[in-house]
Amino acid sequence: MVKLSRTFLLVVCSIVLLAMLSGSATARVEIYNSTIREGNGYQMNNYVIDVTDVFVSANTASFYVYEKDEKIKSPLLSINDSFTFDFYDGEVELKLISVTSGTLPLAKVLITVSNYNIADLYANEVITGGHEYATYSGTPVIELTKTVDENSIMVDDIITVTVTAKNTGDDKATNVIFSDPKQEHFILDKSILEQTGPMSLDIGASQTVFVYMLKATEAGSFILKSSTASFSNSANQAFPQASSNTPTITVTAPDIPEVPKKNAVLELSTDIDSITVARNDKITATINIKNTGDAPASAVWVNIIIPQGLEYVGGDSAIEIIGGVPKIYMESFGKNYENEFTYTVKASELGTYTLTTKLAYEYDNGVDAEVQKVSTESVTESIYVQKGKYDELLEQPIYVYLLPLMVIVMIVAWIYHRHNQYKFG
Amino acid sequence: MLNILMVGNGQCGNRIIDAVNKQAFGGKTKFAKFYSKQKFKSRVETIVVNTAINDLKELKHTKGKDRIHIPHLHGVGANRNVGKSVFTENKDLIMRQIEDRGSFDVGFVVTSASGGTGSSFTPMLIRELKERYDFPVYAIVVLPFREEGTLYLQNAAFCLRDMRDSGADGIILADNQFLKQLGGDIESAYNGINDMIAERVLFLLDALDSDMMMVTDLGDFKTVMDGGAGLATIGFYRADKDVPVKTAIQKALSPSGLLFSTNVYDEASRAMIIIKGDKSYLSIDDISNEVEKLSTAVGHVFKGIIVRNGEYPQVLAVLTLESASELEKLYSIAVDAIQYEREKKARVEDKKEVDKAFSQLNGLEPHY
Repeated sequence: MVKLSRTFLLVVCSIVLLAMLSGSATARVEIYNSTIREGNGYQMNNYVIDVTDVFVSANTASFYVYEKDEKIKSPLLSINDSFTFDFYDGEVELKLISVTSGTLPLAKVLITVSNYNIADLYANEVITGGHEYATYSGTPVIELTKTVDENSIMVDDIITVTVTAKNTGDDKATNVIFSDPKQEHFILDKSILEQTGPMSLDIGASQTVFVYMLKATEAGSFILKSSTASFSNSANQAFPQASSNTPTITVTAPDIPEVPKKNAVLELSTDIDSITVARNDKITATINIKNTGDAPASAVWVNIIIPQGLEYVGGDSAIEIIGGVPKIYMESFGKNYENEFTYTVKASELGTYTLTTKLAYEYDNGVDAEVQKVSTESVTESIYVQKGKYDELLEQPIYVYLLPLMVIVMIVAWIYHRHNQYKFG
Repeated sequence: MLNILMVGNGQCGNRIIDAVNKQAFGGKTKFAKFYSKQKFKSRVETIVVNTAINDLKELKHTKGKDRIHIPHLHGVGANRNVGKSVFTENKDLIMRQIEDRGSFDVGFVVTSASGGTGSSFTPMLIRELKERYDFPVYAIVVLPFREEGTLYLQNAAFCLRDMRDSGADGIILADNQFLKQLGGDIESAYNGINDMIAERVLFLLDALDSDMMMVTDLGDFKTVMDGGAGLATIGFYRADKDVPVKTAIQKALSPSGLLFSTNVYDEASRAMIIIKGDKSYLSIDDISNEVEKLSTAVGHVFKGIIVRNGEYPQVLAVLTLESASELEKLYSIAVDAIQYEREKKARVEDKKEVDKAFSQLNGLEPHY
């Protein structure tokens, strides 16, 4: 019984181990499983495995592994032997399957790769003649240079912008596409050359891709936007976009003779005819507006602020009550023009008051694009409202009014009674 | 206190009663009624009656309830026959108004003798009053201007006759013709006459119910009015300065003081003289001498003296008449007027003149 149990446990462990082994085998991808003639090689991107010698009689074959022109490995394999080498982040394994005699002997090999994205394998083929005949891909570097003929110009001056591209990398640049954005603060005056691609640029080759003329529209210091180039290498690998430098252009405004600004100056004053009044008396206020400037004013608003305790009674026809506030509006007010407005207020409560006149207007100073807005105000002298002639009466006790009122009511009632007595018809 | 009824019939009667009410307020303005009280010594009830509502509306000092409108067109058109008919139809209404005002000691009915409503209503009203009540009723009758027209003259003549037949206790005459001497325009003359009559009536009412130094009363007034031919008039004088009482009496009895033209020393039958004023003016000797002079001519004279401090002398004389030559003249003119009206009516009824005029058109047609 004990023997049977141990056997069962051994079988189970073996099954698990096999399963683990078979799982690691599935991460490896077959690249090539065929024969390679002696002297030829097999290229995988920039790696080439040359079959240098096939010894049929010995069932062996020797291999040289090159990374570009550098030999990195040279194993001799017997049938069913294999070797590996690092392939980027993964690993390539070559296993010798068999050897075959002929005019030139053949070696059948199985090449697999692990831990590598097979989609990145842009070159995988048999190279006749071996690695010396392999084509390797490199890294093209596009250097874009944007130059201007002048860096300091005046408004309305024209500069010539030239953009050149040079491949300073170690591979040919293919599918090169150039672009050049529009420049702010400038307008395109003329386009002389515009080669946007797609094109190719050999190693060390340079190409003028844009020549154009820009006209400065306003003053300031401006940085020209960079030109860009997108490209690939000879193996059609795309590379990050290249950008040009960004020249700085200083644009100076032309010396324009300064135009003197004009002003509309509305002088505002408010006068009152009396500063001490009795309650219920009236006060006449006069608003005087005079334009002492050299420009006409427009949209002239005059707001008359009446404090509580004073009541607006009336005034010139130009004064309108809008929202409870006496206001005057004048479409225009010419230079040297003068106008007066009179209004009357009634002193309804005792106290000290002032009348405020607020003036707002606009004018064109002849230089600036926007209209100039001005507001000002004037305040009268203090108005002292004192007790009226009959105010003493109002301060008397109620019976002082009530008794005469009752007498009056009785008299009126009596007259009404008498009237009715003597009424006929 | 006496209870006195005063009725004014027709426009003239209405206005005289209104003038009495106005003067009773004491004030001279039309607003006196609003602030003053009537100064009647007695309880005086005034009633005005008219068929013309506009005449009632124009009154200012008579209470609305005292204005009785007898609806008949806008008056009776100076036609006494129509007036009598209207009174008969509305007699109950008028008498009910009087009845509602209580009992009376004496009554006065004021009217013009010449108009329509007053001259026709007054005799019939007095007759009704006499039949229903036992208080004396006196008529105050205003005679017309002689030139006012034949209808007014014949109305005056028949009215006075009806008045005497009505049972009135006396007829006090006021003559517009005689009072014309006041002058001025027609309206102011009428107003002046009305005020003059009102002033005398008020004085009389005051005298009948006053405490006197020497007494005359309603009984004396009745006795005076019972004398003579049933006709009477009133003389009056109000001094506006320091005038001897003797002069005041003489002026009251002179033509300028009387309401009717008469020679009191020849035609008066009985008299009552009431003298009012400050004691300083009331010389008993002067009064006695003047009264004696009058009584020598007319027989009996009642005299009364009312002392009113600070007032100038005022004299009222009520005189009944044995004869009235002026009235005879009036009747003479009135007879002519009646004759004239009769002939004119006959001519109009005959239509011959008019028919003759129209007859010229016989057989003719207008052509255009």
